[in-house]
Amino acid sequence: MEVLRLQNLQKSFGSVRALKSASFTLNEGEVVALLGDNGAGKSTLIKAISGVFPVDRGDIYVRGQKVSIRSTRDAMDLGIETIHQDTSLAPDLSIARNLFLGREPVNLKWLGVFAPLDLAKLRDAASALLKRVGISKKLDADALVSTLSGGERQSIAISRAMQFAAKVIILDEPTNNLGVEETHGVLRFVKEVRAAGHSVLLITHNIHHVFQVADRIIVMRRGEIVAEQTVADTDLLTVESIITGADMSALLKETRAK
Amino acid sequence: MPDVKRRSSLIRSPQFSSLVILMVLLAVFAIADANFLSPLNISNMMAFLPELGIIALGMTLLLTAGEFDLSVGAVFGLAPVIVMLLVQSGQVDIGVALLAGLLLCVAIGAINGLIVTKIGISSFLVTLSMLLVVRGAALYITQGFPLKSWDQPGFFVTLLAGSFNIGTFRFYTSLWWFIALSLLAIYVLHYAKLGNWISAIGSNRNAAVARGVPADAVKIWLFILTSVLAGLAGMISAFRISAASPVAGTGYELEVIAMVVVGGTALTGGRGTILGTIVGALMLRSIRNGIVLIGVPGLAYNIFVGVIILAMLILHALLQKNAARS
Ligand SMILES: Nc1ncnc2c1ncn2[C@@H]1O[C@H](COP(=O)(O)OP(=O)(O)OP(=O)(O)O)[C@@H](O)[C@H]1O
Ligand SMILES: [Mg+2]
Repeated sequence: MEVLRLQNLQKSFGSVRALKSASFTLNEGEVVALLGDNGAGKSTLIKAISGVFPVDRGDIYVRGQKVSIRSTRDAMDLGIETIHQDTSLAPDLSIARNLFLGREPVNLKWLGVFAPLDLAKLRDAASALLKRVGISKKLDADALVSTLSGGERQSIAISRAMQFAAKVIILDEPTNNLGVEETHGVLRFVKEVRAAGHSVLLITHNIHHVFQVADRIIVMRRGEIVAEQTVADTDLLTVESIITGADMSALLKETRAK
Repeated sequence: MPDVKRRSSLIRSPQFSSLVILMVLLAVFAIADANFLSPLNISNMMAFLPELGIIALGMTLLLTAGEFDLSVGAVFGLAPVIVMLLVQSGQVDIGVALLAGLLLCVAIGAINGLIVTKIGISSFLVTLSMLLVVRGAALYITQGFPLKSWDQPGFFVTLLAGSFNIGTFRFYTSLWWFIALSLLAIYVLHYAKLGNWISAIGSNRNAAVARGVPADAVKIWLFILTSVLAGLAGMISAFRISAASPVAGTGYELEVIAMVVVGGTALTGGRGTILGTIVGALMLRSIRNGIVLIGVPGLAYNIFVGVIILAMLILHALLQKNAARS
């Protein structure tokens, strides 16, 4: 079943047409890898979906319903959780406070933004979450994020997306800067999320990872989607050549024929 | 074990080291001049403390969110001038005049906040310009002359600048204002949801925005709060001395920022402490007061104040480095 559908998304930054026209569909329980060289427009595309900035043109459908995503809060409320490439944690806050940033457990809810944080619940939930992701042995929920390594921070950001059990989880280069073990952790997480029925949009430059976890591949070049293939129907070399643009015409024909 | 850990992190925290230095300073002044701890001198310090301290509370929240406000000293001067002009015109009641003065502060803060967040100019430049506009306005409408302030006793005068005696000590109601606002600020910054947002915005704005935190709205409200507190402090001061001078509060912006950073709040945002600010306010107050008592010539004050501030900042930086290493 279709979870997310994009139709003709366009976005320019001044004279740079970062997104010329992008359309694709993401189904329930599917992992789609979004590939493309530096500057292809991948981050721009997912920032549009997650409400970081509005698109110039085009429509977004969530479960068949046309939606307007004007803020990150809108996207979160629609069940779209994103882990951005540029780190998404506040270094001066504790792990626990970061995990619940924007969705803090509070007492006396009617006080609005002045409501007191439920510190006990915050701590307990954070510890439980860290345990679930398998990094609790090393990390204390009260530790400041500024004291963590890049890989540990990435794990925290991922646990947070998991926590809110979103329909769609978007990961922008989640294995960047990660060691071997943490990288396996992320890939395992992607599989778990799919098993739980969520959909994942994974951006990465590592094609090996794509073949380990993805069901489908979408390739972008200069702001456009130039190819779309199921992993079972393709191989590493083919995908690499699409990304770099070698022998484009033949491949485009192949894609179109489908 | 965790108890030991918590205690050592408390000892290493910036507010704690500021507190130790404050104690040392108080001891030095007390030994150097016995009058330092006399009821008269303590009452004196407590009369001045709230006026800058109240502004420093707002400034702490603003700095924690990663912005700052240089127009507070000018607002401190303008707000009571407006109130007095309105009262003297004879058309409005003093309560209405006070309200109008505070609304003007709301407007000044909102303009600061809107320009900083929506147009994206740094708060340094925006509030520096605002300082000139506001100070200029105060000078122009008074033609540079101080206004005689409202000195008939009444509800509002008592509310803002009433005084009472406890034993041989004489305290002003402004001290209660400072205490109540401090408690409120401690609650908001460290225990409320809003405080989490303020720290997150100052620490990594994009991360906060990506989690749905309304960063611009929070900043605009903090600019408004800081401006209103500066205006309130100006009114308290004007009532206390029964005069509203258009040059009142000159240079206060830097003194307030010094109080805040000396207390351990990071100038770059993300890390703020209200307790530290209270300690910082006490420290600057007692330095200014103490060096007069021990006979430092008036023109040499700022040398001492500057050196002590620098020493504090170096200490914080060293502690910070140490904490990062361990
Ligand atoms: N905020 C912005 N302002 C101006 N130009 C931008 C902005 N963000 C992206 N661009 C431009 O849009 C194009 C697409 O950038 P984008 O970040 O989407 O690439 P990407 O596919 O994510 O690349 P990478 O693999 O390096 O992360 C680039 O040419 C980039 O310079
Ligand atoms: Mg990118």
